[in-house]
Amino acid sequence: MKKFKFPMRYVPISATILVFFIVYLIGIISFENFGSSKVFLDLFVDNAYLGIAAIGTALVILTGGIDLSVGSIIAFTSILIAKMIASGSNALVAIALALVIGILFGMLQGWLIHCFSLPPFLVTLAGMFFIRGCGFIVSEESIGIKNDPVFNFIQNDLTIKLGKGMNLRFIVIVYIVVLVAAIFFSQRTRSGRSIYAIGDNELAATLMGIPVGRTKIMTYTIAGFCSALAGVVYAIYLKAGNPLNCVGLEMDAIAAVVIGGTLLTGGVGYVFGSLFGVLVLGLIQTLIVFDGRINSWWTRIIVGLLVLAFIFMQNLITKISKSKSKSQ
Amino acid sequence: MNKFATVIMAAAAAALLVTGCSKSDSSKIKVGFSQVGAESDWRKASTESIKGEAAKRPNIELTFSDAQQKQENQIKAIRNFISKGVDVISFSPVVSTGFEDVLKEAKEAGIPVVLFDRAVDVSEDGLYVSFIGSDFVEEGRRAARWVLENVGENANVAELVGTVGSAPAIDRKKGFEEIIKDHPGIKIIKSQSGDFTRAKGKEVMESFLKSPEADQIQVLFAHNDDMALGAIQAIEEAGKKPGQDIKIVSIDGVKTMFEAILEGKANCTVECNPLIGAQLFDVVEKIHAGETVPARIPSQEGVFDSKNITKEVVDGRKY
Amino acid sequence: MNKTSNKFRHLVWPLVSLALLLLFNAIFTDNFFKIEIKKQDSAQAPSVPGNPPASGTSWITPESYENVSDPTEAAAKAAAEEVEAAKQTVKESAGQQAVPEKKDDKGVSIFGYYLYGTPIDILNQGSKVMVLAIGMTLVIATGGIDISVGAVMAIAGAIAALLISMLDAGTCIGAGMGPSVYWIIPVLAALVLATIAGFWNGMLVAGFGIQPMVATLVLMVAGRGVAQLITDGQIITFDNPGLVFLCNGHALFLPFSVWIVVAMYVIFGLLTRKTAFGLFIESVGNNERASRYAGIEARRIKWLTYVICGFCAGMAGLLAASNIKCADSNNAGLNLELDAILATVIGGTSMAGGRFFLSGSLVGAILIQTLTTTMYMKNVSPAIVAVPKAMVVIIVCLLQSPVFRAKVLSIFASKAAKGGVQ
Repeated sequence: MKKFKFPMRYVPISATILVFFIVYLIGIISFENFGSSKVFLDLFVDNAYLGIAAIGTALVILTGGIDLSVGSIIAFTSILIAKMIASGSNALVAIALALVIGILFGMLQGWLIHCFSLPPFLVTLAGMFFIRGCGFIVSEESIGIKNDPVFNFIQNDLTIKLGKGMNLRFIVIVYIVVLVAAIFFSQRTRSGRSIYAIGDNELAATLMGIPVGRTKIMTYTIAGFCSALAGVVYAIYLKAGNPLNCVGLEMDAIAAVVIGGTLLTGGVGYVFGSLFGVLVLGLIQTLIVFDGRINSWWTRIIVGLLVLAFIFMQNLITKISKSKSKSQ
Repeated sequence: MNKFATVIMAAAAAALLVTGCSKSDSSKIKVGFSQVGAESDWRKASTESIKGEAAKRPNIELTFSDAQQKQENQIKAIRNFISKGVDVISFSPVVSTGFEDVLKEAKEAGIPVVLFDRAVDVSEDGLYVSFIGSDFVEEGRRAARWVLENVGENANVAELVGTVGSAPAIDRKKGFEEIIKDHPGIKIIKSQSGDFTRAKGKEVMESFLKSPEADQIQVLFAHNDDMALGAIQAIEEAGKKPGQDIKIVSIDGVKTMFEAILEGKANCTVECNPLIGAQLFDVVEKIHAGETVPARIPSQEGVFDSKNITKEVVDGRKY
Repeated sequence: MNKTSNKFRHLVWPLVSLALLLLFNAIFTDNFFKIEIKKQDSAQAPSVPGNPPASGTSWITPESYENVSDPTEAAAKAAAEEVEAAKQTVKESAGQQAVPEKKDDKGVSIFGYYLYGTPIDILNQGSKVMVLAIGMTLVIATGGIDISVGAVMAIAGAIAALLISMLDAGTCIGAGMGPSVYWIIPVLAALVLATIAGFWNGMLVAGFGIQPMVATLVLMVAGRGVAQLITDGQIITFDNPGLVFLCNGHALFLPFSVWIVVAMYVIFGLLTRKTAFGLFIESVGNNERASRYAGIEARRIKWLTYVICGFCAGMAGLLAASNIKCADSNNAGLNLELDAILATVIGGTSMAGGRFFLSGSLVGAILIQTLTTTMYMKNVSPAIVAVPKAMVVIIVCLLQSPVFRAKVLSIFASKAAKGGVQ
């Protein structure tokens, strides 16, 4: 065999991708229609909002922080847009306002975390309560977005048709664009590399002259923007706003990021990994729906076990390749 | 080679988790059902009613999915039902909004949809064939009417609201307020969310009973039985007699609540019937046979208080 | 600065926040500090059918609890209830005799009375989070986190309720002992099972080196399913006096749950401060590799903290189930992991690990519960409850932050300096 050296830093993410395809294959063998391209496309359609939220979470986790306000911001944004449209505003204005609020809220959280050196967990937890409550103040009841010209335009004209029944929806395009931008940002820009440096060792980063405070606040601002954008995508996806939605979504986002090979301690991992983390979570749900004989409680247990199986497989592959590279 | 072997082993382990490979039988009516969750005894009774009925009928093949109280899960499930190619989709919506797109997708795929337990709010007709189930607003009205008839024109009410923002909580409150609006003697003096759970119901009631207005509370209106049952404990601990010092009215009609009414610890529960599995599959079979079905099928529901609850009623209660 | 003040310094700011909140209540909430001494009657009201009154009868006019606490009347009522209860079934009456100090008012007088009022409620309702926070503090001190505690609570409650219902029905070994003794079995079973759950978490984190948040996420998702599996998705109610006593009974004037918290605090306080264990935990949290080189069994220490956390979650689960006399697998302990983490961090323990304060965590837990109860008492609309809660959390955090205090002080100092010049 020829000597092939696979860079160690790509191992966890490759493991995730490998495991994803294996499980996908199992699904195709086990269930009728599982292999249809609709199932694969739906994975993106149904998880676009989670994916966008996970991008923000991934960046925050790379700095060694955490963001728990994700799900609440999505709910708040969606209900704000729905409420504004219902009371006669232009949808574009509503979306712009929602994004601005998301950015400002993220910035505020980042500022509190950096300037007063408060733990990110606490600040974003308080942020989660706060913005969820704000959502209820906007409207307790869910509101549908009906016959709005902008939303209709998005749905009818911004969808790329790929043949019968197969549509590449606008929200999927948004997700892919944001993902590519975030990958470029984290790998190819000075600020992006600063995020890694801070996550790896904040003190060292400070001593090297990296603007730690500015970078951290910027990261939380981006996270706020991603959450708000996820909320916009969610509003387009559902054509409705509901202050009760996405409770606990932050945990899904964090799980997706970590399954995608990012370390919670910061500094290690790739934004790209979050894509496969999200797909893995979506795939688990799809498998369970396709089986359709599972009890409510078994659903929970099996989701837990599948997450565990993924983590184990990932760990195993990582360990094996580590020991191999050592032996070489 | 070693690595390859481990991967195969890991894959085998995953395959074991996804138990059994099912290839479906084309002669059966394939029904996809998405349930809200397993959040209460009531919901469990509803799930069992559906599953039990499906098992009884040889021509039905049920694909069941639990959304764990999340709309996002429910939409994913409905999409997957469409991909899977079921004949009829039925679901109990988590909320009333947000299902328009996915219902359109089902319509385009030619799959009829039957709603169960809760209606959805859509802008165009024909997205669903039929709706079987209760009317939450009416349940709130019935509770208020019971208060009017049995307590009188003057009553101070403490209200235990369900999960903030959820459809039953909003509608039941709406119905109750609609009736008492014309009766200024009936006032809601305390209102807090008990999240539809016993623990929260008890905790909130404890604080109600220690507030300055505590002695004025004459009636407790709980949005579901679980919260009422928690509140009964709090009332007992405060040294008052539930059902006497404070009249208790709630909604759902689960067995434990019937027992409490029989013991005199509560006064009234407005039934919200979960056992509509048989109705559901009757409709499904009709749709499959090409017959037309009514767009709204109400379920049989009553109001229960000490007048019509006997030992036999309690024993005959399935949930 | 002397040694004692250093030792309690971390407590100052959480206590100041708590004092402010209590002061607010003292001024703005009537009856907040009203504490009465009550005789034990209704707290343990037997859950047997009374006389079903005809609907609409005005049996008694609403009376204030002062009236009920009138000893003679209460005693008479209790006696009447007891007679009725005795008539019901043999099994029930066996249950009555089970814990005599609760039913028998003529027993030891110190057990016959208890305090009643909002502050007592706060302690009682807060006991769950306090117990959770003790375990959580140790886990966080090693730099870990355990987000499965809520689910473990549900498991513990479920197994306890299932066993007690089996024992009551006589379909489990040990039913022969009688209800006065056999409630020990479900309690022990719940604690053992929860400890096993903690062991499992520890295995994933310390044994396999999986990141704590993901490792415990597995049990957080699956655990509630396991609890529902145990109870078959149903809410199992029980009225075994021993089990109900845990969170509804009173001893030495206070709810029994408070004494459980005190006991756990003393045990784990002594374990961590009077042995090297606490130092080991802090050292592992500070620098795991360095600790290992220094000869500390870092993995074992971490593992043990998760086991302890599981045990604490089990105890909290028992309290939660006991409080409402049933096991509600779907809702028991839901989101309590966040409250426990919040309490820990408010109490001054660093999320990064390496430093922990059990007493601070307890104060944090009381602070959170006080806040929740205040919202209920002030009639804050349920929709916006989360907003003021979030603000108080941020304010408490800011008060805790030395950076914030220094900045505020410097503003004041500069103003004072300016004033001085003029």
